[in-house]
Amino acid sequence: VGAVGQPTCGVDSVSAVTDLVRPLWRALVVFRVLAWGFAVLGVYTRWDELHRRWGAVVLLAAMAVWTVVVSFGYSRTWGRSNTRLAVADLVVTVACMAGTLLAQRLDAIHDGASILTSVWAAGPVLALAIARGRDGGLLGAVAISLTTGALIAFGDWSRLLNNIQLLLVAGLVVGYAATATRRANARLTDAIATEAATAERLRLSRTIHDGVLQVLAQVQHRGGDLAPVAAEQEIALRSLMNGRATSLAGESDLRAGLSVLASPRVEVVVPASPVPLRAHRVSELVAAVREALANFTRHAGPDARAWVVVEDLGGEVLVVVRDDGVGTSAERIEHASRDGRLGVSQSIRGRIADLGGTAEVRTAPGEGVEWELKVSR
Amino acid sequence: MTRVMIVDDHPMWREGVARDLTEHGFDVCATASEVVAAVNIAKATRPDVVLMDLQLGSGSGVDATRDITAALPDTRVLVLSASGEQVDVLEAVKNGASGYLVKSASLEELISAIRHTAEGDAVFSAGLAGLVLGEYRRMESEPDRPRLTGRETEVLRLVARGLTAKQIAARLVLSHRTVENHVQNTLRKLQLHNRAELVRYAIERGLDQ
Repeated sequence: VGAVGQPTCGVDSVSAVTDLVRPLWRALVVFRVLAWGFAVLGVYTRWDELHRRWGAVVLLAAMAVWTVVVSFGYSRTWGRSNTRLAVADLVVTVACMAGTLLAQRLDAIHDGASILTSVWAAGPVLALAIARGRDGGLLGAVAISLTTGALIAFGDWSRLLNNIQLLLVAGLVVGYAATATRRANARLTDAIATEAATAERLRLSRTIHDGVLQVLAQVQHRGGDLAPVAAEQEIALRSLMNGRATSLAGESDLRAGLSVLASPRVEVVVPASPVPLRAHRVSELVAAVREALANFTRHAGPDARAWVVVEDLGGEVLVVVRDDGVGTSAERIEHASRDGRLGVSQSIRGRIADLGGTAEVRTAPGEGVEWELKVSR
Repeated sequence: MTRVMIVDDHPMWREGVARDLTEHGFDVCATASEVVAAVNIAKATRPDVVLMDLQLGSGSGVDATRDITAALPDTRVLVLSASGEQVDVLEAVKNGASGYLVKSASLEELISAIRHTAEGDAVFSAGLAGLVLGEYRRMESEPDRPRLTGRETEVLRLVARGLTAKQIAARLVLSHRTVENHVQNTLRKLQLHNRAELVRYAIERGLDQ
């Protein structure tokens, strides 16, 4: 047994988790730059209608400067909540929307001319949604809608409602997405931490359990009244280690469920690679095997031994429970259920039938009992 | 007299087993506690049977098993593992071991296993049969995998269910010797395949460099 070394994994690996919110901020930066380009295009197509062209140029320049500022800001603190910057963004954007009056006359806007900031103004709505979730998105949408409403003097309601609708949808959807992403992120971090802890525990227990097993084996070899107890404990410890559960996404390893049934009289025979099955199927199969083994303990005789064998057939899994005890007759098994008592065999058959599988029993006096439980994946 | 070598990193265990085996008429010709020494001493003493622990403090008994069986075709390795860690046992068998017992097996079981191993038979417990059967099933999707005949699969499944060679012979109406041969073949094919894989891996790596 080697010396127990220092723990090799700790919290460091956890902080290395990629922040899942990062892509949202990156997308926002891209959106902002594109939206500014769209605003430039808008000014270019309406160049002749503009009341003060220099006003439009100043406005676009201010928007460009602010776009660069927030792009750097949102990028630099990727992953953090960025709430302050998003609020500042909201204030500046509202000011830029008002700045459209440098280029346009108010009555032109009332008559239906577009506000020059156009879709660029949705930026802070998205930023607040990413930083603060649904409520942030809602706040941003309301603020930008009110500003739009003020500019068009709440005259053209269908135009206003259209804007509000789009802003609300954007704010709420992105807000929900950000919240969901944050939760997933937290869970991923937890899962990675758990995995690291499990690996460490496994390494330690492997080192320790080999030593303990050595001692138990030696106690058995020396004989004496401690030998049977040592045998029992040795099998319990070995099956515990060999049957380490590796469960993922609602599936669990059938080997782990069955290994704990090993005892000095019961050997559990499994392949070296995991046999994943849906968790419910594993628990039903284990329950059926337990019943068969309970029956073995009651009826097979004091010197009988039993084997639980797992065969992974690909599309199906076969579990065999066989003993070399006194056996019984097929009629007696049937008889038990005719008497109105729910016999063990009925109970086992019921469980396996519920899983859509088949349960067959083979027995004869002096030949032991052999159950074949077959369940599809 | 059967010459036995004991490889184990627990001095108490080595001495205890050596004493027991000597009392029962075996010649314990050597002991070793780590991989490199085990391989060198085995080459020098050429024992009939090596009792191999898998968890050696400095390394794995799987490596020692592979090197000893590769260098000494007449020497058999019987794995004696405390943990019965399934993956390790399977690896040892693929790398040339001809049988496996858990350390807590009784002295009678151990002695009978050594006798069988010395005679060239595989020491096939139900547990080992389950591992070997599982390994063949796992390889089913690989292109040039070793295959079991219908009979071999049948025999292996019955061994896994705890039947003795005698019981299997009776159930399948075969001779005892034929059952032993089938069991031997399942192991031999697995070992040949493994050796071919190792050679191929070595060549691929050699070509890469």
